[in-house]
Amino acid sequence: MENKQIIGLLVHNHPGVLLRVTSLISRRGFNIDSLTVSPAGMDGYSRMTIRINGDDDKVEQFISQMLKIVDVKRAEVLPENGSVASELVLIKIGTDGHDNNEIIAVTAKYHASLVNIGEHSMTFRASGTPCEIDTFVAELDVYGIIEMARTGIAALENGDKSLSR
Amino acid sequence: MKLNGSEIIAECLLEQGVDTVFGYPGGAVLNIYDALYKYSDKITHILSSHEQGAAHAADGYARTTGKCGVVIATSGPGATNLVTGIATAYMDSVPIVAITGNVTNDLLARDSFQEVDICGISMPITKHNFIVKDVKDLANVIRKAFKIAMSGRKGPVLIDIPKDVTGAMCEYEPVSPAAIVNPTVSDKANFETAAEIIAESERPMIYMGGGVVSADAEKEILEFAEKADCPVATSVMGLGGFPASHRLFMGTIGMHGGYETGKATDNCDLIITIGARFSDRVAGDREKFGKNAKIIQLDIDKAEINKNVKIDAYILGDLKYTLKTLTDTIKKAEHEDWLAQVNEWGKNSSVSETPRSDEYAHPYHVIEAVRKLTKDSDIIVTDVGQHQMWVSQKYRFEQPRTWCTSGGLGTMGYGLGAAVGSAVANPEKTVVLFTGDGSFHMNLNELATVRSYNLNIKVIVLNNTVLGMVRQWQKLFYGRRFSQTDPRRKTDFAKLAEAFGIKGMRIHNDDDAESVLNEAFSTKEPIVIDCRISPDENVLPMIPPGKTVDDLITEME
Repeated sequence: MENKQIIGLLVHNHPGVLLRVTSLISRRGFNIDSLTVSPAGMDGYSRMTIRINGDDDKVEQFISQMLKIVDVKRAEVLPENGSVASELVLIKIGTDGHDNNEIIAVTAKYHASLVNIGEHSMTFRASGTPCEIDTFVAELDVYGIIEMARTGIAALENGDKSLSR
Repeated sequence: MKLNGSEIIAECLLEQGVDTVFGYPGGAVLNIYDALYKYSDKITHILSSHEQGAAHAADGYARTTGKCGVVIATSGPGATNLVTGIATAYMDSVPIVAITGNVTNDLLARDSFQEVDICGISMPITKHNFIVKDVKDLANVIRKAFKIAMSGRKGPVLIDIPKDVTGAMCEYEPVSPAAIVNPTVSDKANFETAAEIIAESERPMIYMGGGVVSADAEKEILEFAEKADCPVATSVMGLGGFPASHRLFMGTIGMHGGYETGKATDNCDLIITIGARFSDRVAGDREKFGKNAKIIQLDIDKAEINKNVKIDAYILGDLKYTLKTLTDTIKKAEHEDWLAQVNEWGKNSSVSETPRSDEYAHPYHVIEAVRKLTKDSDIIVTDVGQHQMWVSQKYRFEQPRTWCTSGGLGTMGYGLGAAVGSAVANPEKTVVLFTGDGSFHMNLNELATVRSYNLNIKVIVLNNTVLGMVRQWQKLFYGRRFSQTDPRRKTDFAKLAEAFGIKGMRIHNDDDAESVLNEAFSTKEPIVIDCRISPDENVLPMIPPGKTVDDLITEME
């Protein structure tokens, strides 16, 4: 079944590790939907969170390939129903011809903050699950998105499990 | 003790038991070559004509000994010239450590003279690579590089070292390397599942590959095959891993494999895949490969499971251990009827051979004549193309590590360098290089190396004056439009050899083949034999790309 799956990677924080991971992903023909890198909360390690498109076989192959990279210490699927996944979006909306209060009312549904106001625009910040962000963006699209930046997905598995252990 | 970076490199090579390296000097490795001068009583350096030749030599050295090959090259073009050699080793899982010099740290990233980002370039063709910017890290990086190259699924590792690091002083303490142990991932249940599937099978076959040779598991596979009573097909890379004279041996599998291996693949009910990876040259049609069979796979690399072909059960770990454990887990079986059927197919695999003529020698005749003159332990090297396939079909390999060929990458020009490395590693053996005129033209400069070190290499150029394999595909699939496959070269390989100071000989036809070969093999001197074969000779049988044995071509005009 074709679906989107999130994979967590614990990697040695060596120079070039991002290139090693991304070049292998591209070489093996996987499509990255989202990729984030951050400190892992463990000295010398970073955490990558990658969302790819693919069935279970493809994801299994993806993980096996990732684990062949010497700098990759762990690689695991973060199951959709057993993990928390979030991302943050900054989105700039054109205000000309629109009722500002209406826009603010819409964004309030998503607990978005108004972080900047320009002459012809407003910028909001929102965070949530990737799905919530998709809906938020779609709803604001009618007002005209001037520009947008999404951080990509960060995800952790529920309960006491940890990639770092 | 305090040593400079280059002396640390030499000491670390000695730690790893390295006594031979291949390479070519240059500006960025002057310090390293100065240390090699100092250590010349402990480390033999073999100088090639071109860095590519040195890389293939390190590869040939590794394939024929099981040890890690080492190649050294300078920065920039020296490093890029290694690329084809490293990629060849990577595709065939051959352990080599490549050491490249680079410009000094303060000149890095400034497009300096002979600067290139070889780590970036070699990333997709190495298991791992390093750039060592601080001499304090050097010794440990070298130790890690050898460990990575030799553990798990073996392969090349590159270490890039800026020139100032090779000159900087640092404290050095020798460390003896720990034995490499590959953990077995699979547990008892995995072995039992596999054994159950094997017990249920009435028509099993083994498809083995280069992993068996790489793991030195020739004894273990023999015991397994005998106990399971399975016919054995090998990939081109697996040749030598199972004795060709054994009653269970069928031959190679795939595009130019035998009729019986193709029929067995289609009609068996179980394929036990051992150290092989279902490449497109074996499983042309991934969906139909072994369509009536379950598939079990034994490998050391998890990423090979379900990569090309869907597997029913697998066992992960070092084949030397997993094969032995599986042999202990299975029951002794007999498959008399099935083996008789396979034998029957073997008899019927009538491939039409071109008629013998006075004008040319026949490649099969030459290969079989050479086989009569070589010991089982002698080493056969090939380049890439028709001659490579003829040798893989007809030369009867009995022992592992006697066969060097570029199986995965298909590198024309691989042969002579690899023959140099094989001959350096095995001075007591005869090394035979079968090559074609196309492949040989690519890197024949290494004849100079063969002469310098007086290596016992018999080069047999199966000279059809055309780029035969590509021409064969043009015959089959491109309406005989022979685009750029008839180079109209007039090279006289016997005279060419003389120019390098090597004796040249000629085989004109089947009649003089034996006498010329007898003479050539009666000395330890290098010899080049220009052997004329017909430009219309084909490699048959052939499963067309993407097809199965049902589409087997056994005849061509």
